[in-house]
Amino acid sequence: MKISLNWIKEFADVDLTIDELISKIGTQLGAVEEYEYIGDKYKGIVIVKVVECLKHEQADKLNVCKIDDGGLVKDVERDSNGLIQVVCGAPNVVQGMLAVWIPPKSIVPSTFNKEKFVLEARELRGVVSNGMLASPKELDFGDSHEGLLEIDEEFNPGTTVIDAFKLDDYIIDLENKMFTHRPDCFGVLGIAREISGIQDKQFVSPQWYKENVEKPLTDGALELMVSNHAPELVPRLVAYAVSDVEIKPSPILMQTMLSRIGIRPINNIVDITNYMMTLTGQPLHAYDYDKVVLSNGGKAEIIARRGVEGEKLTLLSGKEISLKESDIVIATKNEAIGLAGVMGGVSTEVDENTKNIIIECANFDMYTIRRTSMEYGLFTDAVTRFTKGQSKRQNIAVAFKTLELIQNLSKGKLASEILDNNYNYHETEGVSISTDFINSRLGMKLTSDEIQEILNNVEIIVEREGDNFKISEPFWRTDIEIKEDIVEEVGRLNGYFKLPQELPFRQIKPSQKSNQLDTAFKIRDLLSAAGANEILSHSFVHGDLLKKSHQDSKLAIELNNAISPDLQFYRLSITPSILDSIYANLRSDYSESDNKSFALFEIGKSHNNVEKNEENLPLEHATLGFVFSADSKTAKKHYEGAAYYQAKEYLAYLLEKLNSPVIFVPLHESKDQLKDDKWFEQAIEPFEAKRSALLMVDNNPVGVVGEYKNSVKTSLKLPDFTAGFEVKMSVFENSNSDSSYSPMPKFPKIHQDICLRVDSEITYGKIFNRIWQIIEDEKPKNTFFTSKLVDIYQKCDDLDHKQITFRLTISAFDRTLTTDSVNELLDKVASILEKEINSSRI
Amino acid sequence: MNYSYPEIQDVASKLKDKDRITKDGKSILRAPEFNPLFSQLREMDPDNRSKFGKEINELKNELEAILEDMANSSADVQQIDISAPTDINVSPEKHPKLLSSIYGSKHPLMVELDKVLGIFYRMGFSAVESRQIDDDYHMFESLNFPEGHPARDDFDTFMTKDGLIAPAQTSTMQNRILKAGKEDLENGNPIAVVVPGRVFRNEDVDARHGHTFYQLEGIYVSKGVNTGHLISTFKTFLEEYYGQKMELKLQPFYFPFTEPSFEFVLSCPFCQKKGCNICSQSGWIELGGCGMIHPNVLKMAGIDSEEYTGFAWGFGIDRLVMMKYGIEDIRHFMSGKIEFLRQF
Repeated sequence: MKISLNWIKEFADVDLTIDELISKIGTQLGAVEEYEYIGDKYKGIVIVKVVECLKHEQADKLNVCKIDDGGLVKDVERDSNGLIQVVCGAPNVVQGMLAVWIPPKSIVPSTFNKEKFVLEARELRGVVSNGMLASPKELDFGDSHEGLLEIDEEFNPGTTVIDAFKLDDYIIDLENKMFTHRPDCFGVLGIAREISGIQDKQFVSPQWYKENVEKPLTDGALELMVSNHAPELVPRLVAYAVSDVEIKPSPILMQTMLSRIGIRPINNIVDITNYMMTLTGQPLHAYDYDKVVLSNGGKAEIIARRGVEGEKLTLLSGKEISLKESDIVIATKNEAIGLAGVMGGVSTEVDENTKNIIIECANFDMYTIRRTSMEYGLFTDAVTRFTKGQSKRQNIAVAFKTLELIQNLSKGKLASEILDNNYNYHETEGVSISTDFINSRLGMKLTSDEIQEILNNVEIIVEREGDNFKISEPFWRTDIEIKEDIVEEVGRLNGYFKLPQELPFRQIKPSQKSNQLDTAFKIRDLLSAAGANEILSHSFVHGDLLKKSHQDSKLAIELNNAISPDLQFYRLSITPSILDSIYANLRSDYSESDNKSFALFEIGKSHNNVEKNEENLPLEHATLGFVFSADSKTAKKHYEGAAYYQAKEYLAYLLEKLNSPVIFVPLHESKDQLKDDKWFEQAIEPFEAKRSALLMVDNNPVGVVGEYKNSVKTSLKLPDFTAGFEVKMSVFENSNSDSSYSPMPKFPKIHQDICLRVDSEITYGKIFNRIWQIIEDEKPKNTFFTSKLVDIYQKCDDLDHKQITFRLTISAFDRTLTTDSVNELLDKVASILEKEINSSRI
Repeated sequence: MNYSYPEIQDVASKLKDKDRITKDGKSILRAPEFNPLFSQLREMDPDNRSKFGKEINELKNELEAILEDMANSSADVQQIDISAPTDINVSPEKHPKLLSSIYGSKHPLMVELDKVLGIFYRMGFSAVESRQIDDDYHMFESLNFPEGHPARDDFDTFMTKDGLIAPAQTSTMQNRILKAGKEDLENGNPIAVVVPGRVFRNEDVDARHGHTFYQLEGIYVSKGVNTGHLISTFKTFLEEYYGQKMELKLQPFYFPFTEPSFEFVLSCPFCQKKGCNICSQSGWIELGGCGMIHPNVLKMAGIDSEEYTGFAWGFGIDRLVMMKYGIEDIRHFMSGKIEFLRQF
């Protein structure tokens, strides 16, 4: 929101430099987005008198003028009388008028913030023009470009525009979020009051700004009726009629005051309503009285009511809307003529032929205005103000001041009663507070006198008894309800920078670390130490990615206001997001070496619309997703066999480091067990069941590791050598990651290989587990074994069998073992297995 | 499908053979059987020619579809022994192994979060992670945002079809944390919790704005907590984080869930207030919001707001990391680019 410092200064003394003021506003009122000195824009530009105006001999539409600048401008070509020649194409240029002249070497103000256009003396059809006479648009005073700015007051030629129109001004752009609860600060008066307060100065509201004003007399020349059919949404509706208005441009000073803060001047009536809105924060609307009469069928009446479903209304902007019952409209008996609090209708617009007007100064329900504004996408200055919940107690003062301006600037006369429909106000109780309370909440030691002065400076009404205050809300405010509101007021106006800085007292009790966060950090350490890269991807995914991953978007939680289809659904698991980033990385030159293999992982959350927690909110599944991938060239050179084992290697590493025992079962054998587990059902979808395993803890699935379905690989352009896993973080969180220890035998170790030829259908796991079991049962006393796989071999002419070779390392705690005792054990292993699974030792 | 020209039907039955397709692969689309069909096509009258040509194309499309189906089918996928640590016939030097640690990286946002959490742990705060989907009660109502209140517009929130919310700030956890800490509070211990988490804003994305970012919320409630404590706590954190003396300014702001509310602005740690690119030459950096917890928020959690007071704050982790490394585009964080990730 832009404010003019000169406008503020009409009400408040400011004796700080601009930098001091900006810094003070920043710390005691709210953030300043930026500020600008507009005087620079008007440097060198002066008011002149057109002394002579003759037709240009070579051009019909041009005039050659001689102007008098009071001899102010140096370094410009003058005739013998000291006058300056300017060529002018404006239709309204006449001899004797005052005009604004932009001399050579000056910048055209409307170009100041763009590409600056600097004037020079140049020939127009053979006649030299020294600079130009300016239209309102060129001066950035408004949109009008049809003719020269016509000056409505007497000025001596040579008066600078800066002096004439108070353009020696700073425009300060305040962030308006901080005024969400301060409707009064959407007006110059409110800001001026605060600026006084933060300078420790007493603010005094202007005489006319008071809650109760004596009603002026009217000649009753025009009849006006006002009805309120929606008092619950329209708590106050003030209106009156004014006759015999003369529609013309408003005074230039008013126009520039509006245009410098971003409001377009239109005509005196509309400008006055905007001026008053900007001054007080209270929006107003002017209707053409006679158009209302016509619309209502003979008598002037305005009605506030709810919209009728489907009813049409054409707004001032030209947009036609179809109304809803939830809207508030201003209407005649026959039609809606304005979208209340948002924008007026075109059918009763004030235009150059308007003779009589109705002024409406109402208060509307902020929630309704917000809903309506969002519904139609209309964000007007009135909406900005009404949605902050304007005070209902200032309408009469604003309405009267508006009337005064209309009388002065358009010669209009009050022609009806000031109607104030059934308004009543219930005074609030006020807030009782003590000096101690304020000091304890701020951590300060202010005296009661100081507090009283701080509050008085901004005209807050304080009744004081010793160190106790009773505070009533001033009529322009709506935010003083509880004690903390007063604490805020005192703290801010006094300055938070004055607060003593002291840390809260703390007991020595250790704080609780989060197991979830801690486990995640451990996994990051482990996986990054194993060469993997952590990625973060979005919680939302495109429906196409779900489809490509074989996941069911019907189970995904869907956003209904996503800005892009990329963010349509909450992801059902993490794996698809990681797979989605594989191809781009393979294509990019991320590494200088020709080894294109990498491992990506992400710790994140996924959701579906079926599973709920105890709060009846979607369950959050925290999982670790991991994908290993190598392009075909790298895979050929560095890797053999199925990619599955590469992913499993990573998983086994993590499980071992974090002491998390799990059981691997083939996915294709256990898929049915997952039927009731919606998260798992979807999480395993991208995985190829024949080349994947399910991870189980206590018969519950906790994760999946494997390769991906061919169709997933095709659609996501994954290289063949790609595999990964997705595991619930709870597996790692619940484990005890302390390492276990075994004493180290002092006697020499014996290494012995055992190679078994088995049926190729029998799994490695089965053989391995059985061997271990036999060794545990049969091993000599006090011995210690470890084993390692040497290889798994299959002859190309015997696909029915495979040979598995293990290397066993054996040692005893109390003696040196003999090779015989080891061989004896291995023989036993071989013979038992031969009986059980028909294996043979090689 | 069936083809109306016997010549085409004949070729179709020859080529639509599974073994043949497996053997030929993509080259089946240029099989020699097509050649006589093309010769015939050239000699046909215009009417027949277009129909005949169309059928040849249909056959090709059909073959292509079969090829794709076969590529996507898992019928021919070989089963593997998932219990083994390696595949059959893999030479021992090519058994699966982990990549070298020099390639590894942790995400910069998580590294920073770890560092930030570490400081708060030492200051006596515990940590709870924020939710990624929540309801209106936690995101708005319990934070003193009345239904339909315009202050809700300050957050461009993502809504789900079921009326849930992708939280726009980690404050969505405040009510839960206050409720959970109530008993402890009444036993004389403060509630001191930080809440890191992902938050979401439904706004246009550019180099400085992502729709998803990481925030860290802090909550401190005890007896006699005042605004001075808030400033001091946060200043202490920042000085520890940046390892230097800092100045902290509070700018008045409005949040429904704190009163008073502020934005906090810190002296630029990169140029010691001299003005640099990071602070846009101003010497100051706006980092986040904070304030004294609104009594209504405490009351909603069943905490006596006369007896206990507290403060809360929130700031973005992304911003800290961008400033620290001079990262020019927030979108890099979630791009999944190894080229970016391996720099950390």
